[in-house]
Amino acid sequence: MRIKKHPILTWDKGKKVKFFFEDKELEGYQTETIAAALHASGIKEMRESEEMHRPRGLFCAIGNCSSCLMIVNGEPNVRVCVTKLQEGMRVQRQLGKGELQR
Amino acid sequence: MKSKEAVIIGGGVIGCAIAYELAKRGMSDITVVEQSYLASGATGRCGAGVRQQWGLESNILLSKYSCQALEQMNEALDYDDDIEFKQGGYLLLAYGDQQWEQFLKNVELQHKHGVMSEIKTPEQAKEIVPHLNITGLKGATFHQKDGHANPFKVTDAYYQAAKRLGVEFLTFTEVKDIVISAGKVTKVVTTKGDIATKRVINAAGGWSNIVANMVGIDLPIHSERHQILVTEPVKPMQGPMVMSFHHSIYCQQTPHGSFIMGLGDPVNEPRGLNIDNTWQFMQEMSEIITNLLPPLRNLRVVRQWAGLYNVTPDAAPILGSVPGVEGFYLAVGFSGHGFMIAPMTAQLMAEHILGIETTLPISIYDLERYKRGELIREPNVV
Repeated sequence: MRIKKHPILTWDKGKKVKFFFEDKELEGYQTETIAAALHASGIKEMRESEEMHRPRGLFCAIGNCSSCLMIVNGEPNVRVCVTKLQEGMRVQRQLGKGELQR
Repeated sequence: MKSKEAVIIGGGVIGCAIAYELAKRGMSDITVVEQSYLASGATGRCGAGVRQQWGLESNILLSKYSCQALEQMNEALDYDDDIEFKQGGYLLLAYGDQQWEQFLKNVELQHKHGVMSEIKTPEQAKEIVPHLNITGLKGATFHQKDGHANPFKVTDAYYQAAKRLGVEFLTFTEVKDIVISAGKVTKVVTTKGDIATKRVINAAGGWSNIVANMVGIDLPIHSERHQILVTEPVKPMQGPMVMSFHHSIYCQQTPHGSFIMGLGDPVNEPRGLNIDNTWQFMQEMSEIITNLLPPLRNLRVVRQWAGLYNVTPDAAPILGSVPGVEGFYLAVGFSGHGFMIAPMTAQLMAEHILGIETTLPISIYDLERYKRGELIREPNVV
């Protein structure tokens, strides 16, 4: 789902980039956040809550709430709502607490 | 005016634990007066470490018995939650020959008192904490039974248990004055009314000298800001608290997964009641810790805060009675390690107040030792 026409705003989505969500190759635009690209592909579950293992997705969408923490290129606890998409990124759901890269 | 057997000033872990230990031994009508919420001062702001690796017999024994109490605490206090006691050990790092020699002496003393700390080479230290940078490290000592407990939960455990025994807790209540008549404590004046009492216990932490001044005593004590920060949580990767007196830092991963770390910096930290936090601390702490434990550079800081050390000339607490003011007791000046020795300290205070023989000698901690020149200086503090 993407807004294609808006009565007031226009914007340049920039170049299309390919990235991976788990094993799936997906496409998004380089001007958008990882969260926006995932949503556009219908992926709304971003992590699992640590204790009750419930699905978690976008909540605040401004980098404050920790609801959308995912593993990006092996790095845990990435706030995908405020992190821009890049070509070839590997994005994974975070199950429980992330493992710190040594 | 209500009348109480004892009024405890300060609702930190020390005040709550003394209240429980007194009530457990049969004293009724105890009130704890706290100016804010329970554990709002140094208790709730501390690094939450519990160690037995000290350089003085007195500290080794206090912390050993306190550690045993923490091991049993959930059951002993019938606590329906969990104090989160994790015995991941303490890894103390030694830099330079002088420090190493002191460490070896400490270990010998610890062994004599049944604290079975272990001597480690830098390589062995790295086996315990694989992400430790051992450049320049002379050696380390490790004790598995040291660790971490949740200061809020420990305070709450004492509070719940004391409340069940009938102790009254007045939070958001300030003590304005203590009235003395013929050298005896008679009354405590608070913002929620006066309380007649024969016994007042000063467990006010950073505010201890303000309370002492109310009975005309000036303690050889000062409060000093210490800062601390906590990171986002990750999967468990560091068992022990890593502590370096050379860098004047400590850092450990809590059971929750976050890393808590702090820095001792008495040169730049203001004395008094200032608990603002600074970017200078954040910068200095980050520089030291990312050099010592490099993978931590990938962690984000969630929060930083400050609390007050209540520091005595020998970094050991002042416990017991005060000559000339009957019924006034001190449990103050813990100099940054009050939380870890709280259980045993509270037991000793209760025994002393009730006139029972104390389990460990308490007289070495009395206020008069500074006049006598019998300081008990601990070599191992941050």
